[in-house]
Amino acid sequence: MTDRPAPRSIKILANLPLNALLYAVLIIPFLLMIYLAFLKWNPAGGYEWWRAPLIGLANFHKALHDSRFLSSLGRTIAYVAIVVTIEFLLGLLLAYLLLEKFPGKKLAIAIIIYPLMLPPVVVATIFYLMFQDYGPVNNIFLRSIIGEKALGIHWFLRPDTAFISLIIADIWQWTPFIFLIMYSALSAVPKRLIEAAQVLGASNFYIFWRIRLPLIKPLIVIAIVLRALEAFKVFDYVYIMTGGGPGTSTETVSVYIYRVAIEYHDISYASAMSLIVLLLIIIVTRIFIWYSFERGGR
Amino acid sequence: MYINGVMTVGEEVDKSRRYFLVTIGSAIVALGVGYAIGRVTAPAKVTEKIVTKIVTTTTTRTETVPATGTTPVSPTPTPTGPAGLSGVAARAVQGVKDLINRGVVKPGTTMRILHVAGSRANLEKAIELWSKYVPEIKVELITLGQEPDVYNKAMQEAVTKTGTFDAVTIFSTWLGDLVEAGLAKPLDEYYSKYDPGYTGPCAPITPLRDYVTMYKGHRYSLVLDSDVFTLSYRKDLLNNPDYAKEFESQYGMKLKVPDTWEELIKMAEFFTNLKLKAPSGGRVWGAYFYAEPRFAAYITWLNIFIEAGGIPFDLKTMDPKVDSPEGRYAFDVMLRLKPYMPPEAITASWADLYDKFIKGETVFTAAWPSLTKEAHRPTSLVKDKAGSALMPGVEVEVGGTKKLVKAAPNPVNWVVIVSNYSKHPELTYLFFQFATAPDIGLEMVLQGVILDLFRRCWFTDPKYRAKAAQGYGEEFLDVYMKSIEISYPDLLIRGGPEYLAKLTTEVNAVMAGTKDPEAALSDVAAEWDSITKKYGVDSQLEAWKSLAQLFPEDVKSVWKAKGYM
Repeated sequence: MTDRPAPRSIKILANLPLNALLYAVLIIPFLLMIYLAFLKWNPAGGYEWWRAPLIGLANFHKALHDSRFLSSLGRTIAYVAIVVTIEFLLGLLLAYLLLEKFPGKKLAIAIIIYPLMLPPVVVATIFYLMFQDYGPVNNIFLRSIIGEKALGIHWFLRPDTAFISLIIADIWQWTPFIFLIMYSALSAVPKRLIEAAQVLGASNFYIFWRIRLPLIKPLIVIAIVLRALEAFKVFDYVYIMTGGGPGTSTETVSVYIYRVAIEYHDISYASAMSLIVLLLIIIVTRIFIWYSFERGGR
Repeated sequence: MYINGVMTVGEEVDKSRRYFLVTIGSAIVALGVGYAIGRVTAPAKVTEKIVTKIVTTTTTRTETVPATGTTPVSPTPTPTGPAGLSGVAARAVQGVKDLINRGVVKPGTTMRILHVAGSRANLEKAIELWSKYVPEIKVELITLGQEPDVYNKAMQEAVTKTGTFDAVTIFSTWLGDLVEAGLAKPLDEYYSKYDPGYTGPCAPITPLRDYVTMYKGHRYSLVLDSDVFTLSYRKDLLNNPDYAKEFESQYGMKLKVPDTWEELIKMAEFFTNLKLKAPSGGRVWGAYFYAEPRFAAYITWLNIFIEAGGIPFDLKTMDPKVDSPEGRYAFDVMLRLKPYMPPEAITASWADLYDKFIKGETVFTAAWPSLTKEAHRPTSLVKDKAGSALMPGVEVEVGGTKKLVKAAPNPVNWVVIVSNYSKHPELTYLFFQFATAPDIGLEMVLQGVILDLFRRCWFTDPKYRAKAAQGYGEEFLDVYMKSIEISYPDLLIRGGPEYLAKLTTEVNAVMAGTKDPEAALSDVAAEWDSITKKYGVDSQLEAWKSLAQLFPEDVKSVWKAKGYM
């Protein structure tokens, strides 16, 4: 045996299956999507996609003038901002509260992370049933607070209450995700730093604000970015709980793109909208990371 | 790159170049492998050929028949077959034997049918009967969970052309899309060659027979089902003498099965105000008609619109005609009904309407025939309390005289198409001719939940009717046959689901109070217009003109009187 590195041809051959797979399932479809965005292709048109006419930026132009697309995009951004903020604050609070040892802690953690194990479609169905007029939310929870008036609340009938019900379902399922990351981050903060601060007479709030939080900042950024990216793709809750209604008042951008692509077969237009959304996500994520790590980190 | 503070530029460049070359090389190899796999797994090439065929009626005609390489066009077989079968089924069996004898199909061949889970019991029954007569040809089911899955798979097959399945059961609403996408094979040739029994006393009831099987004047499907709406109502409440007396004193008219939407609104108001307690313990609402956001809201609106004499598109220009007095009237009726409907009518999924009716929580409702089946089940709380009637109509003024127009929606309606990429299209067609024959078809329909009666003799011929009545009840059979006769299709043109989805969204928005009817109609018209333009005005107009001819006579007479037709 020698230490001589393997010839380049062997390296290429060794990498080939993985590369082929990568290109087949990721790169080529993605390139195809970009190409389709510049065509006018509809599977119901009866012609192959490679015979579809090239229409330049028309699909992008149409998307930027499509009020339904723009409002679904705005709604999705609002949704992401609300759920990620609440989930982050709740997740962080829970993680902080569970840092100390107490009897039943393991059970409490298991219960908290339980929603994360359920498929979103199951969560959506559960919440759909819970928010029915005679469901547990009205009939048990709200009825005990506001009495019989609770039975008159029709969650899915008004745009605002329908939107709130979606947010509640999302928060219930995804707060544990933030909790898990925050809990592991806070647990990893060196105890000697906390003890040193305590010896110097620092308050719990001061320790949290000045020591724990700065130390876990990279993980906070990662948790928020990951969660925001996931929340942006919200589909199951909307599709099952409200169907995007009343009208289109709770339709998110994923649901709209799904409808255009799958129900209306306008694959080219859906591709263009997807690209716009992708571009937007890249820009926002990049700015957020830059602000958190580079500018903010200075 | 820095190593011990020294920049090694050459190696960096070399590595970058090497990485670039590896990447590009891999891409080229991947493309090559992909292309090779694609070539190997490509389906049989479909070729168009002109066939001159002598039809048994002694007329000679020239047809364009798309045929795969494995299925040459055969001469008309002698229509004889096993004893005990109806002529339609016997011809199908004989046709298969003939294909086997001529070596066109080998014994042991398997057909694959893509279908939705709800129809599995029906198709399994048909396969069980088929295997008695044609044991040498197997039929395999590819079952999908939800209806949209079937549509997506069918559309994917239109693009990928793999030949994975030979036939697919579809909503007739999708027919235009699947024909134009090239998936649905024209069946005119097989119809004339094997005669599926589409004329005579046992034919599928018109106009349904034609509008769910024809597109631009050609047959592309076989009927599997009927999905015509009827009005279902709480018979026990309507026949209650105390309520009858009270209603008459309040409204000055008799409490009876409503003939019009206007009458129905009054009765719905009356029963809602009574604040009755349902057998389930819940509240009784006067009415429940579809207004939900997912797909069904269009059904109610379109029904009132059509009965009021509205026409969806101009027959000369294909301009949408929904933003019209008939469209506004349809919204007016729905909004006046809204206070007497449970709020879930606007938010819940379509199945909620079924749930509420069989719990006795609604007095008037309208749905597919399966609602009647559900209402007759032992677990139903309205068993023996549910009645059926024709859909309420609209009084239209035609030429100075008032005419009551009643029409019944036929949303979705399962049909079967044969795939253009099937290796055995003729064989597949024959299986479905067998499965939908008067004798076999009734067995198949009665087996499950989602398929319903469509042949006239199942209602009129005592030997079939007795069987049918076991599933639906005698009263329903009479009402249902009449309902099919006055039924009208979904928009069975290309983009049909898209037109209807836009309409559903807007109807739901109006009912939820987030949009006013004027704005909604204007938006529907604008969106329908853009869909039409997307597919091409001429092509859409051709399809719409053909379809409009297949609407029920009463509706067409109003269109003619209004100058729409």
